[in-house]
Amino acid sequence: MLFFGKNNKTPLGIYIHVPFCRSKCAYCDFYSVTDKDPRAMDAYTEAVCSHIKEAGSLAPNYLVDTVYFGGGTPSFFGAEGMAQILSVIRKHFDVARTAEITFEANPDSVSDRLLRRLRSEGFTRVSLGIQCDNDEILKKIGRPHSYDQAVKAVQRIRKAGFKNLSVDLMYGLPSQDLESWQATVENVITLNPDHISCYGLKLEEGTPMHQYREYYTLADDDMQADMYLSAIEILRKHGFRQYEISNFCRKGQVSRHNLKYWTGGEYLGFGPDASSDFAGRRFSIVRDLRAYIDGIRTGGQVLREVQEIPNRERAAEFLMMRLRLVSGLDPEIYQQKFMLDFSPMEKVLSRCKDQGLAQKTYDGRWHLTPEGFLVSNTILSDLLIAQEKSQTITKR
Amino acid sequence: MTDLSKIRNFSIIAHIDHGKSTLADRLLEQCNAVDNRSNAQQILDSMELEQERGITIKATAAQLNYTASDGEVYALNLIDTPGHVDFNYEVSRSLAACEGALLVVDASQGVEAQTLANTYLAIDAGLEVLPVINKIDLPSARPQEVKAEVEDIIGIPAEDSPEISAKNGINIPAVLEMIVKEVPPPKGDRDAPLQALIFDSQYDPYRGVIVYTRVKEGTVRAGTDIKMMATGAVYKVVEVGTMSPGGLVPREALGAGEVGYITASIKSVADTQVGDTITTVEKGAAAPLPGYRPVQPMVYSGIYPADGAKYQDLREALEKLQLNDASLSYEPESSIALGFGFRCGFLGLLHMEIIQERLEREYNLDLITTAPNVVYRITKNDGTVLMVDNPLDYPDPMDIQLAEEPFVKISLFAPQEYVGNIMDLATSRRGEFKNMDYLDANRVELHYEMPLNEIIYDFFDALKSRTRGYGSLDYELLGYRPSKLVKLDILLNGDIVDALSFILFAENAYPRARKICEKLKENIPRAQFEIPVQAAIGGKIIARETIKALRKDVLAKCYGGDITRKKKLLEKQKEGKKRMRTFGTVSVPSEAFMAVLKLDED
Repeated sequence: MLFFGKNNKTPLGIYIHVPFCRSKCAYCDFYSVTDKDPRAMDAYTEAVCSHIKEAGSLAPNYLVDTVYFGGGTPSFFGAEGMAQILSVIRKHFDVARTAEITFEANPDSVSDRLLRRLRSEGFTRVSLGIQCDNDEILKKIGRPHSYDQAVKAVQRIRKAGFKNLSVDLMYGLPSQDLESWQATVENVITLNPDHISCYGLKLEEGTPMHQYREYYTLADDDMQADMYLSAIEILRKHGFRQYEISNFCRKGQVSRHNLKYWTGGEYLGFGPDASSDFAGRRFSIVRDLRAYIDGIRTGGQVLREVQEIPNRERAAEFLMMRLRLVSGLDPEIYQQKFMLDFSPMEKVLSRCKDQGLAQKTYDGRWHLTPEGFLVSNTILSDLLIAQEKSQTITKR
Repeated sequence: MTDLSKIRNFSIIAHIDHGKSTLADRLLEQCNAVDNRSNAQQILDSMELEQERGITIKATAAQLNYTASDGEVYALNLIDTPGHVDFNYEVSRSLAACEGALLVVDASQGVEAQTLANTYLAIDAGLEVLPVINKIDLPSARPQEVKAEVEDIIGIPAEDSPEISAKNGINIPAVLEMIVKEVPPPKGDRDAPLQALIFDSQYDPYRGVIVYTRVKEGTVRAGTDIKMMATGAVYKVVEVGTMSPGGLVPREALGAGEVGYITASIKSVADTQVGDTITTVEKGAAAPLPGYRPVQPMVYSGIYPADGAKYQDLREALEKLQLNDASLSYEPESSIALGFGFRCGFLGLLHMEIIQERLEREYNLDLITTAPNVVYRITKNDGTVLMVDNPLDYPDPMDIQLAEEPFVKISLFAPQEYVGNIMDLATSRRGEFKNMDYLDANRVELHYEMPLNEIIYDFFDALKSRTRGYGSLDYELLGYRPSKLVKLDILLNGDIVDALSFILFAENAYPRARKICEKLKENIPRAQFEIPVQAAIGGKIIARETIKALRKDVLAKCYGGDITRKKKLLEKQKEGKKRMRTFGTVSVPSEAFMAVLKLDED
């Protein structure tokens, strides 16, 4: 049993969206600007800080156990701003001493100075975007660094004292074949990270890569599937346990922050385009830096979408998110939590089991197999159709 | 009752788009029968679909009171006719109710396929045919040449034909004067036994069926006990009267020579078939008027609700449509693949399209239709003869002694430069060339005999696209001829999908089968397992494609901001799946059915 702080407060994750990058990568559709004006960064820092201050008073009964600076490129934004924001979080929220505090970094913007500063501020975890070990491919997808820089970055991060390092990799990149991807995974394992995320390339609308898609040689779905399955196999051999569709770790060093998304935990997001799920409502902030800063300054509106999620939809989210996890879901918990009958879903999952896409553990939990993860959208849409029919359980 | 000498019964015939309905409107306006501002659209084409497609689907009639230059008031009965080959029989009955016909010819396009076809129908009915040259306001109008064409090709005098523009109201009185002078007044004895021709009927929820009729002999009035001579149905007349564009005008009686309506609390248009003769129960006519033919659907297709739960709605919609359209036939059928639906019979392809569109539009139904087919005549080894209108009823090939399919005589018209294209098209559709006539230096008429099956689906569209829209066609049924037929079955994952089975000419089977398999492969989404798509004749597989198993459909990243997006994505996928039909384990979207129907488009 986890013990959340002395007063039994509700755990809370805090996400800070840092929307600054040196340059835009060709595949990326996250919100960020490549504005190098220090005044924009200062104005952003100021806005996020006052936003946090305002929100802190609304969450007195929460204990912050994870903080995550994502982006964008937080390391490019710099240590000063992050340190300032973290100190404001600590001031206005109750942050656990054992909190996981992560920042995302790119190999071209992690100086020893930055790392030392952030370590001393209490950051515990770094998520480094390596993506690939082939400089030509890195160039093709618009990454502003080489693999050599990534190797050096890992050394610096360790030297600065970070015990928890995660690296991001991508498969299905232009001109990447199965063998070169397998070699990439093997290579990156030798850097000895604690956590690896492997993402299949997806062409997102509005990105340069989507626009110029016919000029790239890209893996088809079958190839991506083979790449995915072989990565799972290689990582397993080297002691990396898969715990989510795209995430692997050693010795239980899961991303505690990200786990909140998959297990229905509460989190508050700050900064443009950040999302929150807090006190029963899901809301997100405008996807525009200027509008965010102005909104905060003038006490105006910065939210773009607020949703109250009804019970049955929460139940659907439960299915959707839990089945991303290797630990899967417990039908008993589903029924107790949402008072809905699980049997329609049981039928769908049994069929998936026959097709080798799902498994049921001895204690009754359902989880997808790697092949099942690969077609999880199809399985989930079947489950959601079934879920519409699930009856409300009435207490006797 | 109007004196016979003061009655003129006429209809207007034309090729599609030559301005028939516009002229009808002008005539009505000229006689102050309607306020020309009240309805800018064509008055007789009241159905939304008619106005949109610019064609007349149901016949209608109106009486115009015209004060002619001789100072006398004449009752001009205009009977509008449907303008498509599918409705040839209905046209012939409308014409049988008249003594004259205005032949509207477009001053720039000249004589076209249906100009000829309709003129022949009118001449066969013994009508005085009076050409009218329309659209003279067009810059490309060539009225003198077109008149010469009418005289040369059709062989009726046109020198003095009025040159008009129905659209702009030019020279309309000349047309009315011509009707009075040239159309013969009707004949008939108002004291003779009653013979009234039914040329149309319409269902009215308050009065029952309104029968539109031309009294040939005798007199009918309220209270008369009448009998439909073909169907044998007996009723007591509630009301008789004439049709004004503003509505029905009750009269004391309708006598020989007059055109009007009868109501008699008739519950179904099935009792009032077009072409039937109404007589009195007592002292009735000895024989009916000639020319009656029971309704004979030419094309059949299965119609199913896309959402199986809408079966009752579809049934009610068909019932309502049939109230007004005795030529629509339907009976329940069930398909393993599509569930419960109806086998519907239509007069032709246009009729089928109209019914489908009305079901979808007026009754808001999503439909899945199966490939249309004709009625095949199968003689089995034991001598029994089957009329097969549903592929599911096609007997085992081993039991078949003789298979026959209906053939038609088809006339194709086009400018000479497209002759090659037309010949290619006709040959590819098993057309047997008969002859070719030059209508003038530039235009030709080609005659072919071909199976009806080859023209029921998209022949008209194919003709239009190969002649840049200039081609036109007309056809008439020749009868049954022996043919090499096979039933092609489609199998998904090893199971026959009955709704995709159809009957076709044996030599077309291989290329057809291959194409269908390809189309299905394109249109059926990959599933979590491999799906073989096969085409078979009897038990023999003649084509195969494989839909590979779906290997990747996953959202690699799903963090805080992605959850809402992912939910929307899955919601969309879920709704898409719900619209699909499940056959065993294979889900097939309705687009796949449509794609199979549209095989020839590329």
